Amino acid sequence: MPEWANPVAHYMLHDGLTATLRIAVYAVIGSTVLGVVLGTLMTIRFLPLQALIRLYVEVWRGLPILVTIFLVYYALPTAPAIHHRFGAITGASIGLILWGSAQVAEATRGAVQSIPHEQHEAAAALGFGWVGRHRSVILPQALRRLLPPLVSLLANIIQNTTIASLIGVTELLATGQRSIERLQLTPPGDSHAFAIYGALLAAFFCISFPLTRLAIFLEKRLV
Amino acid sequence: MTLLASFDWHFIWEHVPDFWDGLKATLKVAAIGIGGSLTIGIVLGAARAHRVPVLSWLAVVYVEVIRNTPILVQIFFIAGGLTQIPGHPIRLEPFTIAWLSVMVWGGAYNTENFRAGFEAVPARYREAGLALGFSRVATFLNVTLPIGARIALPSSINTYVSVLKNTSLLTAIGFAELTNTAYSLESVSFKATEVYFALGVTYLLVVWSLSALVRVVERRLLLPEAR
Repeated sequence: MPEWANPVAHYMLHDGLTATLRIAVYAVIGSTVLGVVLGTLMTIRFLPLQALIRLYVEVWRGLPILVTIFLVYYALPTAPAIHHRFGAITGASIGLILWGSAQVAEATRGAVQSIPHEQHEAAAALGFGWVGRHRSVILPQALRRLLPPLVSLLANIIQNTTIASLIGVTELLATGQRSIERLQLTPPGDSHAFAIYGALLAAFFCISFPLTRLAIFLEKRLV
Repeated sequence: MTLLASFDWHFIWEHVPDFWDGLKATLKVAAIGIGGSLTIGIVLGAARAHRVPVLSWLAVVYVEVIRNTPILVQIFFIAGGLTQIPGHPIRLEPFTIAWLSVMVWGGAYNTENFRAGFEAVPARYREAGLALGFSRVATFLNVTLPIGARIALPSSINTYVSVLKNTSLLTAIGFAELTNTAYSLESVSFKATEVYFALGVTYLLVVWSLSALVRVVERRLLLPEAR
């Protein structure tokens, strides 16, 4: 490895990758929990509730993630009712959760509806209430169908954490860009931009490729 | 209520022309990106489905690299990385970077859409075409393409909507599209709520009307047996 690359690699892996993974973990957990709840609620035959969740899903799926993150990070704190500033990592995570939960909600609705009606009736006959029926009988079965899209979501969320760099989070992409700028300003002034952006592409590929393969494998095995 | 009372509608109204300029740039880049990704999708999708040697292997590498790396890094790689290739720097205009990056991204997703569409065309249709004396190319153009493209339509349309949404990331290289226009407006006016609310509504209107338009086209192009 050339001499310039060592400190750059250390900075990117130590600071950048940590922030990337932190946002990804927050976003995946938040999206899954919120999305599964919303998706399950969407299967209740109560029109106002269905319409409300449908609106939520269509809005956050329709907006570019960058616009959602700008709304959360810049617009929300200035709204008179909120008046609360939060950190860039929190802002990016919330933005990704709004987008991710909309994806998960849609997948959950499909998975729950694919469970045969007899399962609901059998659970009801055993004395389960609505919550118990879904928690103990329906959702565990729906999870088989849900697992492949959740793995794809994880790969997508890890890729989309790079958008956090645009509101000032020093995640993997931002650490790469700072390294390029620093190398440019120090003699001999070679930025190594081609090598660093190439390494970034390679790094994301190494994380994402196994996940997309896993999603395809699970889809073949489980469904 | 306080939220509505302090909302400066007049400010939005005043800056409609700015948003309109940004929207025009977004739509222009998206249109070129969508057209390009349609072409890439048909050509490479056909190469993949018909297992054309070399071209289909290159298509696999292209699809996997693009689908497994963040588009934002791809944009920076095209805008900043290519200018620093040792020996052969490639410098592109911002507008070229803009349409090229969303086109390359959409093309990879579309290759998969069209591959799946072409592979879903029953083999007996193609055999019938060949039996009638059509050449392989003529069979593709007259049988596989019209049927397979319709099967691929719903998924390819999702890709086109994503291409349009992804143009927002071009704001990162300072390209003056819709999101960048809003960002600049916010940084001089500090009216974040108004600016980003208007930005969000504009995107939703465009994305939702594109989806609605697409549903109409989809119904009109429905395969006879699915009707």
